[in-house]
Amino acid sequence: MADPHVTAWELDAPVAALAFARDGTLAIALGDGNLALRAPGERSSPKKIQTHDGAVLCMAADGGDAAFVTGGDDGKLARVAADGAVGTLQTWKGKWVEHVLAPVAGSFRAAAVGKAVHMLGRDGKPLATLEHQGTVAGIAVNPKAKRLATAHYNGVSLWWTHGREQKPKVMNWRGSHIGVTWSPDGEYVVSAMQDMEMHGWRLSDGSDMRMSGYPMKIRAMAWSPQPYFLATSGADRVVCWPFAGAGPTGKPPVELGYARAGAVTSVAAHPKGDLIAAGYDDGVVALARISNREAAFVKPPGGGKIEALAFAPDGKSVAFGTEDGLAGIIDGA
Amino acid sequence: MSQTSAPQIPVTVLTGFLGAGKTTLLNRILTEPHGRKYAVIVNEFGELGIDGDLVVGADEEVFEMNNGCICCTVRGDLIRIIAGLMKRRGKFDAIVIETTGLADPAPVAQTFFVDDEVKGRARLDSIVTVVDAKHLPQRLKDSREAEEQIAFADVIVLNKIDLVSAKELREVESVVRAINRFAPIHKARECDVALDKVLDRGAFDLDRILQVEPDFLERQPEDHNHGHDHHDHGYDHDHDHADAPSVLRHNPEVTSVSLRLDKPISQQKFEAWFRRLLAAQGQDLLRCKGILDVQGLDKRYVLHAVHMQVDGKPTSPWKPGEKRLSRIVFIGRKLDAEDLRRGFESCAA
Repeated sequence: MADPHVTAWELDAPVAALAFARDGTLAIALGDGNLALRAPGERSSPKKIQTHDGAVLCMAADGGDAAFVTGGDDGKLARVAADGAVGTLQTWKGKWVEHVLAPVAGSFRAAAVGKAVHMLGRDGKPLATLEHQGTVAGIAVNPKAKRLATAHYNGVSLWWTHGREQKPKVMNWRGSHIGVTWSPDGEYVVSAMQDMEMHGWRLSDGSDMRMSGYPMKIRAMAWSPQPYFLATSGADRVVCWPFAGAGPTGKPPVELGYARAGAVTSVAAHPKGDLIAAGYDDGVVALARISNREAAFVKPPGGGKIEALAFAPDGKSVAFGTEDGLAGIIDGA
Repeated sequence: MSQTSAPQIPVTVLTGFLGAGKTTLLNRILTEPHGRKYAVIVNEFGELGIDGDLVVGADEEVFEMNNGCICCTVRGDLIRIIAGLMKRRGKFDAIVIETTGLADPAPVAQTFFVDDEVKGRARLDSIVTVVDAKHLPQRLKDSREAEEQIAFADVIVLNKIDLVSAKELREVESVVRAINRFAPIHKARECDVALDKVLDRGAFDLDRILQVEPDFLERQPEDHNHGHDHHDHGYDHDHDHADAPSVLRHNPEVTSVSLRLDKPISQQKFEAWFRRLLAAQGQDLLRCKGILDVQGLDKRYVLHAVHMQVDGKPTSPWKPGEKRLSRIVFIGRKLDAEDLRRGFESCAA
């Protein structure tokens, strides 16, 4: 983070999500239904591709392809190739497609639509519909993409991704779970809760853990593989929970970055670990190291609340997007 | 959310029983020229016939919070939908939420007190309850929700008045007033109430409570004798038509208690009393609004509460020579007026 260089673009609509394809193409999903695409190293403004009739609500890189899958409030699940070609994978009329996953390790795509998670094959064919009692508020897969975790009211459900009929393993914990993540070693599932805390389960023995003390809801969680921490938004600094060894129980979290008047609204972790990007509600982006707790500002205030952050696959740059429609890339991270 | 650049979007909540006329009112809000573009959140199983670009179906998912307050529930679907709608910012200026006929308005209102993201992006403007003048008596008999919807209202549209006699109308009005003492009542035929009486009321805006309804706490319940006369009539009426519903047989569980104190209030005493009151009776206290003359404070202290969620702050200054008074209204179940009065009076400095 010696001399970071910021390139930013005004995209005229709130940024909903960011993703890098494995080839380094950046996609910026926007509230006006467009996807803005930027090839690696491209200097001009990203090219807008009309994808949804409404707002894009979620996005993920489409496996290892140079492509993205997006969900919108028009009920559409779309695929957009890095060259801008748009295709519709499926449509659920009158519904919102709120969460999507297409893991490199898997041969499927998963889309959360209301109370169901729809599993689709790479060829676009429906595989299975995973029904829930209430709305699915978050989805995550384990490292091998064999299992899928879904967050909902009163707990998290674990499913197999083979696409066959099944009953989930439900891990109950009272309250509304609004997001979920699976640890890179496959050992832990951690959910964010409406009650401004996190809940974790160690899968080997089913033990519970509570991570609390946040003044806000936790909207972003990112795993640093080495050192092994879970970085989170929701406080005035980045709160990182230690997951090495016996897990975070009884250990204080590491707090990183700057305490600002507002709060950390987004976090992302470097693919190799240690370096955490933090976005604040005043538009600041900072980079911080877990190992030595050093931090540096890489983007000044302004342009609106940081909604999303993502590291490029090579770890050399980090992209940001704001609620007011500013997006950009910070090179030399 | 100190740095949030976007203004908060006003949200109007529309409640009322199936058939009361919510959809009629909603369609008027969507079609009449008022210079505003609305996003509408409707319940999936509600009345049909709403069309528009930004109509979103909701599931009315009521979630309990783990914050130790048993009556604290929020609408999880609204939290998600409002966050999603904000991605379309600029495409609409305000939101209307239509609830199902059987919905309890408390979780909707509490969502705006409890959720940090919703609070940062949207503000509850008012709860509007459409009441069917003809069928209210029956609704009050067979459901608890009808009473709660009236109790929670900031504005009441007493609809279908053309379907009742003048006497029935007076009776219905007095029943509504007995439940909710502060909401203005607008009489309507086919929800033909002026939209500016319904929209942009600022009913939850502490700075506007006084401006919008300067006498909301002054308003007295319907003339007491008047009510009693009708009570007698009601019983007579029942003898003649045994199954004709009468509002007068409805003995409201929910009532309003309005209190005043012409001595300055000790903030410390008031806070202690109010905290104890909410802890003990928060589940039964549906709404509360108050304007207080606090000792040592040049400004009016304004507060409102939904169950145990309270918001309050000093607002406009008392004018020189103005008579300072403290006034507070409670709407709730099983209210002990005498106990509340004693408690409130014990807050005198």
